[in-house]
Amino acid sequence: MKRVERVALSAIALLLVASMILSACAPAPAPAPAQQPAAAAATKAPEAAKPAAPSDKPVTLSLWGGFPEMEPFYKHVAEAYTKEHPNVKIEILTHPLREFEQKLSATIPSDTAADIIEISMYANQKFIEADLIPELPANVKAFMEEKGRYSDFLQSNNTYKGKKYGLPLFVGRTALFWNKDMFKEAGLSAPPKTQQEMADFAKKLAKADAAGTLTRAGHSLRLSGQGSGVAEKWWFILWPLGGTIVKDAGNGKYCAGYNNDAGKQALKFYVDAVHVDKYDSHALKHDAEAFELGLAAMLLRESWVIGDIAKKAPNLNYDTAPVPSAAQWGRITNPVNLYVTRAAKNPEVAWDFAQFMMKPEHMNWLLENVGWLPARGDIDLSAVLAKIPQFKAFVMSDPNYKEFGYPVIAPFDEIMTKLAERLVTAYLDKSLANNPDGIAKTIEAAANETNEILKKAGLYAECK
Amino acid sequence: MTATSLSRTGSLGERLATIVARLFHINRKLPILLIYLYLRVGPILTNFVYSFYNSSVANPRANFAGLDNYIALFGDRLFIISLRNTTLFAISLTVFSVSIALLLAVLLSGKFRLGGAYEAIYFLPVITPMVAVAVVWKWIYDPTYGLLNFFLSWFGIKPVAWLVYPDTAFWAIVWKLIGYNMLIFLVGIRDIPETYFEAAKIDGAGSGQIFRFITLPLLRPILVFVTVISTINAYNVFTQIFVMTSGPQGAPGNAVRTLVFDIYENAFRYFKTGYAASEAVMLFLIVLALTLVQFGVTRQRDANG
Repeated sequence: MKRVERVALSAIALLLVASMILSACAPAPAPAPAQQPAAAAATKAPEAAKPAAPSDKPVTLSLWGGFPEMEPFYKHVAEAYTKEHPNVKIEILTHPLREFEQKLSATIPSDTAADIIEISMYANQKFIEADLIPELPANVKAFMEEKGRYSDFLQSNNTYKGKKYGLPLFVGRTALFWNKDMFKEAGLSAPPKTQQEMADFAKKLAKADAAGTLTRAGHSLRLSGQGSGVAEKWWFILWPLGGTIVKDAGNGKYCAGYNNDAGKQALKFYVDAVHVDKYDSHALKHDAEAFELGLAAMLLRESWVIGDIAKKAPNLNYDTAPVPSAAQWGRITNPVNLYVTRAAKNPEVAWDFAQFMMKPEHMNWLLENVGWLPARGDIDLSAVLAKIPQFKAFVMSDPNYKEFGYPVIAPFDEIMTKLAERLVTAYLDKSLANNPDGIAKTIEAAANETNEILKKAGLYAECK
Repeated sequence: MTATSLSRTGSLGERLATIVARLFHINRKLPILLIYLYLRVGPILTNFVYSFYNSSVANPRANFAGLDNYIALFGDRLFIISLRNTTLFAISLTVFSVSIALLLAVLLSGKFRLGGAYEAIYFLPVITPMVAVAVVWKWIYDPTYGLLNFFLSWFGIKPVAWLVYPDTAFWAIVWKLIGYNMLIFLVGIRDIPETYFEAAKIDGAGSGQIFRFITLPLLRPILVFVTVISTINAYNVFTQIFVMTSGPQGAPGNAVRTLVFDIYENAFRYFKTGYAASEAVMLFLIVLALTLVQFGVTRQRDANG
């Protein structure tokens, strides 16, 4: 009897195991018939401009974003769009960025993502390379390429193998936040113009208690934390010194761009701040929160902090200034774009709504109420700038003030995250203070890792 | 002849009845078994298969990589750091949480006022969600406004950035496990017949001797169970690491990098699912081996008397 039971159970188990192994080994399923036309459209040449959906056809659009603070903006424009197109219903969902990226990883390959997604080109690159994201249709491409509408940097950032993907919505751009009261108290009348001045000012602005414990950072640097943020903030210092994270070696290949004097100086800048000049400390609160609480006199950050200050510290007496220069002068610019996915049942309506968002009145609303900078370069923002002058440092342009940003390569997030982990360890290492050899070794080890990641991705070439 | 035939017929009938009954039982259990296989065994087997592919979430049409993922693991600095961190953490956590829990269980096993209240207090952390616990610990560890630094300041100790240093970030989990382990030990101790303790007392045995010669040997199966569960929990540590290291004030990734965190990062951040699957297989094998060793050691001890 036991045998009968054992045989029955074994047969069932074997059957299940076999079916599971077979299903695991099987190639990925083809798109469902209903999705095939959309999927096919993704790989075909973009069609000519199509009108939006007829007004009598009910359409539901979904939009997902990775910046929860953008939700009021989307609701605002969705309301305006629905007034013009009563047949269109728009559903909005935002998530914290990292969770959002994971959600996209599960939904884009399976064609179950929203009709419109908002994401950076670098984060979307892996899907574009896998041919999972449609290129811009002809009318949207024409809109994007209109002279003066988007900078050359944004145009090239959204181009892969000669095709345009994503319509830039807003950009993350860095400037220096400085506390006017603290500067006055330290006898300083203007923000620093050079990186050397920034370090000198930070020493004067730092405050300690009677026991020597730092109670206010002269400059709040990103010293720890998960993910790529630490490396990105280090880049803010590295780039003006003449370095970068990955350098273009030509022919679509790259190499680590910081195994040089700029990289060593940038690491020294941080090590000195913590262990030599001691104007920042791990034992202090950091980032925008620290600036808002009066625990830091300076901070390099994006324009969203202005909106955050307005909500959390409305009485803070502060201003912003361009990023201080060194060997070169420039700021990071990270575009965040809108894409219409293969899953969209009404892509022409989705693109119509995306373009509707770009209207000047909506872009002004975005700047004033959310704080992210409109990506469009042909919009008059003077009314908002007059009202909130701290935005000026973010929108100012000067031929010598360059823009740099994330290269459009799939493994860049891995490069940044792994570099960040090494930097965090280095910032904690007191032995690197006044130790040029130690700094050089740390930089070299990190650069070797970056090059290894590039090699594995087939993107490495030796830089000249 | 007739008697034999009858006996055989009766026996066949009984056999058939038993077969029907057993098939009925199998059928009754089948839905649960199928759900279990589908939800638990299926993903594990699928993971094994994926570990031999260079697959990514974005590109499911992966290339067969053979043992490449496993070979790459042993040259991967981060995997080795994760393995070392997790092992050190598992050993420390198991020793610490099991011994403290045993001590508490022995103390609470006696009859005294508010004993039930103490049991509830110690068990309370077990039912608290890990994310909430981690967030609370993050606030306690806050360098500027955290309770821990505030209390230490009374003794003239300078503020410490607790979350930046690995040891402190790890230890936030320990107290959460103690309550569960304590409860299991408590049940075990209360299951030991009272007469054993009384007899030992009559023979003049002290508390230490009673614990050593009666409580501990009779608790051995429970001790093994608790040790195995604690080891598995320690090797699977993830949530508190993930929550406590996020944000600008979080702990450095490598210092608190554990195996599950590394798996998560490779799978859901870098989207190298094949590689992450091979790490998961390694974790499975480590936990399986440790569990078998623990059971083996106990059985050997039992066999030796």
